Amino acid sequence: MIREDRIIDESKLLRCTVCEAVNLDKGDDIYCHRCNSRIFRNPKLSTSRAWAFLITAFILYIPANIYPILFSEKLGSRDANTIIGGIIVLWEDGSYPIAMIILVASVLVPILKFIVLIYLLIKSKTKRYKKNKINQHKLHYMTEIIGPWSMVDVFVVAILTGLVHMTTVRVIAGPGATAFVLMVLFTMFAALSIDVRLFEERDKNGSS
Amino acid sequence: MTIDEENIVLDRLIICSKCHTLHHKVHIAKGKSAKCENCKKVLYHYDERILDSGLALGITGIILFVISNMFPLVQVEFLGHEQYVSITSMIFSLFENGFYVVGITVAFLIFIFPLMILIIYVALSWMMMTGQGRDTTKELLILLSKLLPWSMIEIYVVSILVALVKLIGYMQVHFGLSFWALVLFMILDIYLSKNVHIGELWELRNRIYCDKGR
Repeated sequence: MIREDRIIDESKLLRCTVCEAVNLDKGDDIYCHRCNSRIFRNPKLSTSRAWAFLITAFILYIPANIYPILFSEKLGSRDANTIIGGIIVLWEDGSYPIAMIILVASVLVPILKFIVLIYLLIKSKTKRYKKNKINQHKLHYMTEIIGPWSMVDVFVVAILTGLVHMTTVRVIAGPGATAFVLMVLFTMFAALSIDVRLFEERDKNGSS
Repeated sequence: MTIDEENIVLDRLIICSKCHTLHHKVHIAKGKSAKCENCKKVLYHYDERILDSGLALGITGIILFVISNMFPLVQVEFLGHEQYVSITSMIFSLFENGFYVVGITVAFLIFIFPLMILIIYVALSWMMMTGQGRDTTKELLILLSKLLPWSMIEIYVVSILVALVKLIGYMQVHFGLSFWALVLFMILDIYLSKNVHIGELWELRNRIYCDKGR
């Protein structure tokens, strides 16, 4: 038997993002002992990468909201709908649950994701004077889970474009949809490229 | 301490994917699962039939996937005009309208990645059951874990419902056979992602191939 408590420094243990094996942090470039994939590069590099993705996503968020996400043509007249406009129309029509779903998925989730990622990136820079109440790993996990749900609006536009193309009524995607897709992709890249080594050290066996 | 000894020690530990709490692995009874003390997220299972279920569910999934692409998902009727949509026709109409970025992204997220994931499950289970393809399984496992966050079938199903609610006031809407196949496919996809942990597959792989080599 190998004595483990003596030789392993618990604060230097890392979870491989590919195969979930536990690895020892030995410096900048770590290769997982089980799957050989590089777990993390230089933490500074991954932080600036995350910032780059995040800023790109934020810039794309502006056209995604300004330009119409879909056009609907009824008997020759053309209506342009932005994301917010679509939600307002749905709300006025009385389909409150759907308006809420789209409001949450395409407005609140991206904004929440921006705030959380910026918080995590800034927090990782500053020194940890006192213990945080929020578990940063949990926050990061949440952004990874809820992130893809902002694709709902894009899928809806895609379905409507594919479904409604008759001579009298037509729905066509708008330029906002392209910007929105790219925005979601870049926020997902940003979340994936954050180095968890930058977060605060883990609680030992959950005693927080 | 040599690298090998170190790795044995490291393999007795597990870090929770949600809150990153460190745990020592413990033996658990058949069919049970170990949960994180801190956030109650499932860490690992003891599932003897992980390969059997992976193979069976993977094949079922591929069949459901084929069905959900063969028939219309949804049909609408408007003033005598009938129109239907399937996953492929939806992607093509995005391309026809010049939305290449949206079209390609959607094609990957709801067609290519989900199909690849299923094929990988089937191939992995088959290879590990028969004990061949030592290096291939490694590549497949790495690919699988990179693809998993990018499959968005369940989000797509919700989107179909949202899109239909938008239309329901104006048109008559009928669900096609493919829609129900897609719903079943989604349930299966969720089941697989909840019950087949990548870490467990890696451990199993190491047991199958490395013990043989000794």
